[in-house]
Amino acid sequence: MLLNVNGVVAEIPRAWQEESLLSVLREHLGLVGTKYGCGVGVCGACTVHVGGEARRSCLTPVAACAGAPVVTIEGLAGPGGALHPVQAAWLAEAVPQCGYCQAGQIMSTVALLRRNPAPDDAAIDAALAGNLCRCGTHQRIRRAVRRAAGERP
Amino acid sequence: MKRRTFLSAAAGLSVSFLAGCALPVIPRRPAPSAAGAHAWIRHHEGRYALYLPRVEMGQNIATAMKQVACAELGAAWDRVNVILPATSDIGPVRATVGSESVRDFAVPLAQACATLRDALAAGRTEGHIDARPYPLEALRAFRADAGAAAGPPALVQGEAIVRGEALYVADVRRPGMVFGRVLRAPASPELAARPLGYDAAAARAEPGFVALVRDPLLRQGRSEGVGIVARTPGALDRIESALAVRWHVDGGFTQATIDAALDLAPRLARGALAKTVRRGCIDRAARWDVDLAIDVPLAAHGAIEPRAAVAEFGSDGRLQLWVGSQDVFYQRDVMARRLGLENDRIVVTGCRVGGAFGGKTICTVELEAAVLARAAARPVKVQWTRAQEFRFGFHRPPSRHRLRARLEDGRLSQWWHAFSSSHILFTNAVVPPWLQHVTDLIGDDGVARGAALPYRAAAQRTEFDLVRLPVLTGPWRGLGAGPNALAIESAIDECARAANADAVAFRIAQIEEPRLARVLQCAAAAAGWGHKPAPAADRRVGRGVACGTYKGTSHAAVVADVEVDASGRLRVTRLVCAHDCGRVINPDQVRAQCEGNLVWGLGMVIADALPVASSRVAADSFADAPIPRIGDVPPMEILLVDAGDAPSGAGETAIVAAAGAIANAVRDATGHRPTRFPVAAGDLRTLPA
Ligand code: FES
Ligand code: FES
Repeated sequence: MLLNVNGVVAEIPRAWQEESLLSVLREHLGLVGTKYGCGVGVCGACTVHVGGEARRSCLTPVAACAGAPVVTIEGLAGPGGALHPVQAAWLAEAVPQCGYCQAGQIMSTVALLRRNPAPDDAAIDAALAGNLCRCGTHQRIRRAVRRAAGERP
Repeated sequence: MKRRTFLSAAAGLSVSFLAGCALPVIPRRPAPSAAGAHAWIRHHEGRYALYLPRVEMGQNIATAMKQVACAELGAAWDRVNVILPATSDIGPVRATVGSESVRDFAVPLAQACATLRDALAAGRTEGHIDARPYPLEALRAFRADAGAAAGPPALVQGEAIVRGEALYVADVRRPGMVFGRVLRAPASPELAARPLGYDAAAARAEPGFVALVRDPLLRQGRSEGVGIVARTPGALDRIESALAVRWHVDGGFTQATIDAALDLAPRLARGALAKTVRRGCIDRAARWDVDLAIDVPLAAHGAIEPRAAVAEFGSDGRLQLWVGSQDVFYQRDVMARRLGLENDRIVVTGCRVGGAFGGKTICTVELEAAVLARAAARPVKVQWTRAQEFRFGFHRPPSRHRLRARLEDGRLSQWWHAFSSSHILFTNAVVPPWLQHVTDLIGDDGVARGAALPYRAAAQRTEFDLVRLPVLTGPWRGLGAGPNALAIESAIDECARAANADAVAFRIAQIEEPRLARVLQCAAAAAGWGHKPAPAADRRVGRGVACGTYKGTSHAAVVADVEVDASGRLRVTRLVCAHDCGRVINPDQVRAQCEGNLVWGLGMVIADALPVASSRVAADSFADAPIPRIGDVPPMEILLVDAGDAPSGAGETAIVAAAGAIANAVRDATGHRPTRFPVAAGDLRTLPA
């Protein structure tokens, strides 16, 4: 099967076709920015975009992605590696502590802002309710989302 | 000697410490040695390499240490490259625990940088020099204006995080690497367990099967392990099902076993508890003005990164190990002992850790990876599943508290705090039962942390019992300080009520430590303590305060506002925290640590608990052991008090005030004193269910 990840089409060998999208991204393609946190869809660390929608890659069989382009945290930056506005906002607000959850937070935020370019706090909280952070970066995440949306952080 | 090898390998100037000079860099473990203090800071052709002697796990210590180095060297930010070292790069340093990094490592680092700066200024560019013990006043990095002009520096590895670059142990990939897992009985490793049988043929028939590994080293506690190795991570699940191991488990327990073991009433009826923190003489018979029982349950760390390790043996038998551990050198020492290797045949590389909170202090998954790699003769990656994290990791011990106080003229006169808990520093995840009889003679400073009352009272008695439980317990952010402070500050709040006094004024009148009184005043003023939040028609609102000192040197006070609706749903609406950890190097990141601790305090009140059933921790996912979500986290305001005292810890301080403030706010809003945590909506409900 063929998988389109971050605009690059890769052949997925048979031995990897029964795997989750998460496992293929990390261990076959070496795109390790997407994280394993729970494996059952409740932490959000593995969030990627499949066909433009935020998805939990731990629960998504890679075989289900044959027709849909996949975008991971590594694919957010623009030409020449310019940071995506959400990534830039994350740095401006110094969001990360350990950083392990942050790829998922950022991917969920990019999907949110695509649906709702000016989310209020309730919309932010609802969109990110499934992205756990144990370090307690939530207040900064909210600020970074507002900043990325062009609002006052 | 290693130092010479290092010198011949690098043309440049480096600084290290002489063993024996009066600097607190000599680790308690492993034992100090002359060869032990290798260079942390090195210069080569106008650039500097900072080999971080601490583990980076989200406290952003890499950033703070780089600030110290830049300030002291007078170097631009981009001239210093921070490297997370392997055990072969620097001399042994002790574990990254207890919020000690700035306090104990920043000053020696600054001294090393000052030595290097002065040597370069004197025209020296090659060789190796020993760090000079410059006095604190002579160091530039700790002047009040050290970093002020530059504003908050970019986080070290911050850009790599938002770009998703490989930073964590599970991101390590090696040529020919395969994936491993160690299967165990679904029971606490405190119970002896062994496999009765399994279907090896079915496992071998699964696509991707690499090896089935039986090795006595795979035992964790008393639980024997069966190792499986596969070509892909997903194949591990299929092989595990096909193998269908049947287990024998000796004995069993339930939550009731733990409740009975910790029950304080029979312990107090027998007389004094085994360990005393304060041994004042109190009158046990007379009536108490406040008498409170507080129960704090077993709780997980819940780091989003599950434990992981990658191990690879070279053809010469050398072991390379990548870890996400708070104690990189300890991992090496354990490998050496358990695998029978010389230290210099093992290189352990510490990766950025995806949250640890005390949980990544011992050797578990690392040994599993090494044993499987040796058996499979391939590099092996092992990452625990979330279910393994709950079942085979250790947790915050539950504790039961009974607090009694007597007042005289509106002041505390007698204080009696008795509690029972399980081991923290002498964790049962490492210490076998026979040895625990010995450690129990010493006590457990981790359990006692934060138990001493920070207020004046003529007679004080604080005592506790340690009970080895059938579940694994150990260090958790702040060790005993979080639960102990929650209990103490709940009782002090009741004392203020009994005295008919304002909760802030009552505390300030009796606080021993002026710095603690100062943060309390500061938090109260910032929160507008005198003006209670406006009442609302459809919900009860309340405000609470708490404060505390961590490890004798850092101080925090928190004011919390809450709302409770008729169904008992609790919402924290605002947290204000004042924090004093002495001289601050990076205010923004100290604030970040405070925010983290406030969220942990919130978690202690609304979420943290692990279910126990069928002889094990009965949680498989975050659904069974929730942590606060973004919608639970209120706006937080942090005020840093920096009066120039020596730098102390920020990583665990505010946890001593956050939970208590929220609990006291719940009491204020509802009239109900939370005594069992996490607070259940049912306890706060005014409507029939
Ligand atoms: S790893 Fe996919 S949601 Fe947790
Ligand atoms: S930054 Fe550590 S889990 Fe979110």
